[in-house]
Amino acid sequence: MQMDKRERSLLGVASILLGFLFIILLKSQGVAGSQLAVQETAVPSLIQTEQENQQLSVDNEKLQLELSKYAQGQSATTLANQQLQEAKMNAGVIGVSGPGLRITLDDSKRAAIGQEDPMLFLIHEGYIREIFNALWNGGAEAIAVNGQRVTTNTEVYCSGSYIQINGTRQMPPYVIDAIGDTNTLSAALKFYGWFRLGDLQQQNGITRKLEVLNNVVIPAGKLRDYHSAKPAKEGT
Amino acid sequence: MKRWHRTLALPVTMVAIALGFLISIQAQTQKNVSAAEQISADRMTQMKSVLSNSLAQNTKLQTDHRVLLEQLDAARKKVGTDPQLLAELAQLQMVEGTQAVEGPGILISIDDRDKKVPFPLGTDDLATIINTLKFAGAEAISINGQRVIGSTAIVLSGSSTILVNEVPINRTEGIPYELMVIGDQDTLFDYFSKLEAPNLKLGGMTVSISRKTLKIASYKGTYTFKQAKPLTP
Repeated sequence: MQMDKRERSLLGVASILLGFLFIILLKSQGVAGSQLAVQETAVPSLIQTEQENQQLSVDNEKLQLELSKYAQGQSATTLANQQLQEAKMNAGVIGVSGPGLRITLDDSKRAAIGQEDPMLFLIHEGYIREIFNALWNGGAEAIAVNGQRVTTNTEVYCSGSYIQINGTRQMPPYVIDAIGDTNTLSAALKFYGWFRLGDLQQQNGITRKLEVLNNVVIPAGKLRDYHSAKPAKEGT
Repeated sequence: MKRWHRTLALPVTMVAIALGFLISIQAQTQKNVSAAEQISADRMTQMKSVLSNSLAQNTKLQTDHRVLLEQLDAARKKVGTDPQLLAELAQLQMVEGTQAVEGPGILISIDDRDKKVPFPLGTDDLATIINTLKFAGAEAISINGQRVIGSTAIVLSGSSTILVNEVPINRTEGIPYELMVIGDQDTLFDYFSKLEAPNLKLGGMTVSISRKTLKIASYKGTYTFKQAKPLTP
């Protein structure tokens, strides 16, 4: 293909222009993208600080209230006893009663046939933990399973044929009691995994039962001795 | 224009069309981009001011918190409460989590940012880890600074934000997950490294465990009992 000088230069100029425009286009696209990313990363930390602020201000109000009680000259021992009672309640070393839910889970009475997975016929520790998580999320005030109060130290650990809870061996059926607003508790439960258990119930015959009770009694938990942790001053 | 070769007509036309097309796109994007830049810059400055505001508020609240705690301590000492009662209270408050604690323990760092991680660390994984640590006798646990107490729920908000005690714990930079655990160092180390770490590593995550003396912050939320009544007054 033969071209004279003018044609060649024309084509050259056009190509250069094309390339130039292309680069500018790419760059502007990139700029717009990166800015969006920066903005997005700032959002979670903002939410985080906001939430922390809220928690802190609630806590501060509580402290202020307590301080004002001291200032008013209330009997120190009464106050300390009050606090002790509150702390015991929070830590779960006092038995409680109130309206709540009772959830019963049991292994299937039917054995796995042929290709069926025998694991789908048993209640696993994960289901129990998932239910706890849902109940706490739904604002549960106290939870117990098979008479074991769920406290900060409670483990729900699969140990072969049984589940270890609070260091005790627990076998099915698992009866979970929870005190709280029964409507929100049920709603939270249904939001998290309750239907999957329903499938297991229909297909494999496990027991999944939910009762709303006017009065549930939840026993006290045991206080464990701490050997490593010591109280520390708050702050950096 | 006779001198133009016919063979050249097609490529030149194509180039001309492409050029025209690009120029029009360019003009459009340039307009869009400058507008977007403007909006984005505005938003950024607004966001920054909001963020710095809330950060300032945060530091103020934290100092307030410290001051109040100190005043309370002083007030308690002044009125002279039974030391045994106070010790019991401190013990209970460590359990319920409203007391910051320090002591020997392990620091676990989990990094799931690698591209070869098919499933990033989820709420179930965190719950399993916490459960194993409790099994190992942990006395205090925190995830990215949030104290884990009995009633702590670990849930997902949206598609990727993890809430612990209703506070998002996701980090935008640095190690994504840091768990602080106080308890018997050997047991914690043993249980975690044998029961949990292998699974996480199998999932492509980077896991590191170190023995340290740690300080774990208190639980900042509140316990509320609206329905539950104590059995023994």
